[in-house]
Amino acid sequence: MRRFASVLAVVLVSYPLLIAPSPAVVALGAAALIVCILGILVATHVLVAGVVLALAEYTLALWIGGGPPRLAGGVVLGVVLLLLVETADFGRRAHGAVLGPGVVLAQLRAWALFGSLAGGVAVLASVVASVASGAVRLPWAPAVAAAGAAVALVGVALALSAVRVPPRP
Amino acid sequence: MITRLTPLALSVVTIGAWGLVLAVLSGRAELAVAVLPLLLGLVRIGRTRAARDWALGRVVSSARIFEGERVAVTVTVSAGEPVALLELFEPLPPSLRLVSGHNRGLFTLGRGQQVEWRYEVECVRRGRVGLGTVHARSWNRAGLEAAETSVRVPAELRVYPRPLPLRRLPSPRRMQAFVGNYVAPSVGEGLEPGDIRAFVPGDRIRHVNWRASLRFRTLFVTRYHQERNADIVLMLDSLNEAGTPPATTLDASIRAAAALATSYLARKDRVGLIEYCGPFRWVRPSSGRTHHERLFEALLRADVMFSYVTQEVALVPRRILPPQALVIAISPLLDPRFEKALVDLAARGFDLVVLSPSPIPLVRRAMRPSVRADLACRLWALERRARADALHRLGITIVDWDPDQPLEAALGGLIPSRRRVAAR
Repeated sequence: MRRFASVLAVVLVSYPLLIAPSPAVVALGAAALIVCILGILVATHVLVAGVVLALAEYTLALWIGGGPPRLAGGVVLGVVLLLLVETADFGRRAHGAVLGPGVVLAQLRAWALFGSLAGGVAVLASVVASVASGAVRLPWAPAVAAAGAAVALVGVALALSAVRVPPRP
Repeated sequence: MITRLTPLALSVVTIGAWGLVLAVLSGRAELAVAVLPLLLGLVRIGRTRAARDWALGRVVSSARIFEGERVAVTVTVSAGEPVALLELFEPLPPSLRLVSGHNRGLFTLGRGQQVEWRYEVECVRRGRVGLGTVHARSWNRAGLEAAETSVRVPAELRVYPRPLPLRRLPSPRRMQAFVGNYVAPSVGEGLEPGDIRAFVPGDRIRHVNWRASLRFRTLFVTRYHQERNADIVLMLDSLNEAGTPPATTLDASIRAAAALATSYLARKDRVGLIEYCGPFRWVRPSSGRTHHERLFEALLRADVMFSYVTQEVALVPRRILPPQALVIAISPLLDPRFEKALVDLAARGFDLVVLSPSPIPLVRRAMRPSVRADLACRLWALERRARADALHRLGITIVDWDPDQPLEAALGGLIPSRRRVAAR
């Protein structure tokens, strides 16, 4: 499972190089790959640092490359990101443990199912957003987007940090 | 079961936040689209079952084993409802060492499905070992949420001390009245010829010594030495120990006691055990297979127990410490209270042998090698020797035993000296 996660990490850092293969992107990609591999082997927190670097590399590549939005690439990268985080975490949990019959198969099936579902939803959302952005022009759009994203994230973080303790069976 | 979010959930939020921040700062929609699948994954939170719909069972291949032997542990998990991902972890006590398989497992179970999980452990130290609690964690498929619980599946392993191989044993000087393997000085029925005497009516014809009868022209009969058993009392010093488990002086003493008990019982002797841990704990001398198990159970319990109580040897009843018994005291001679008990026994005329497992190699093995440690060990060895000489002057035989060496080699030096004393 760790090998599979490593392959996904390579895909994650390689895609921005297709957009803008500049030395800065390559350097950032190399750093992201090293930290990601380390994170796959050591801990999820380190992997998060690697993914943060990879997203910075992707941003840099988009900024250098310019041009129209590459939403299909974004969706593919998003699915890879999702699978990377989950497979790395599963690999760490499964390391040094006996795997029962059908565990890996069931896990792969679940990832494939949710990956395609999430990819589909992302494609749909991007199509809807493209159509909407063509029809409606909001003033101060970036500021509104930033405020909305911040509010949404704070809400999610608060919801997640509240540990729910259900009654004992 | 207690359900909680895993660190992965917060990591996902962090990555999502970072992606959105970058999207807003750079004004590129691709970044928002890239983190969207990740954030969509959070909708899977809250679907982990809090109720436990599965059951655990455990079977061990053998509940009674000797040190160094292996036991296969089979855990059976059966589910009433489907379980997405169940992680089971069975912590092992320090006296067990995992040799094959893993003591942690991940399972996916369907409705009514049963899965077996097997691993093998080696029992490195004697004692009663409890395999009690299995920690379980039920994950959702994404790993964002987990429900935790601990399940008590009691199982006890009885790990008996491994008896060391012994072929030659110190022979007791005094015999008992029952039939055994020692040639007693008294004459009667037996195999070893003793002396001859004139025939008297009632003597059996097959005991007639024809060679002597022909020579002296009158009937003589051969008399035979009786074959008798002996009482052996093993006196175990559990006042103190040195070294690190499973190689402490007490462990070595118990292995030696197990070996001596097994060997003497095989010779039809009656064997008793006195554990001196401040107060006395004892097993009355007896023989037979049942008694062998009784002694091993007592050795299983033997442990260092701190106590201010010091009992006198005089308090031990005669039926536990018979006057004719050979007393084999097994002690690292670390506590002066045990030395006092030895002196007391010797003064009461007991046939006494002290087997002293040396703590020095055991402690040295646990220490980092250094010049200072070498010097300390040499001084300690000198001190032990001086103490052994002092006891020897009181007529107590002391056998110094390095637990890394075979016990038989240590006892080998004792056997000829005891034969010489017996001959005198």
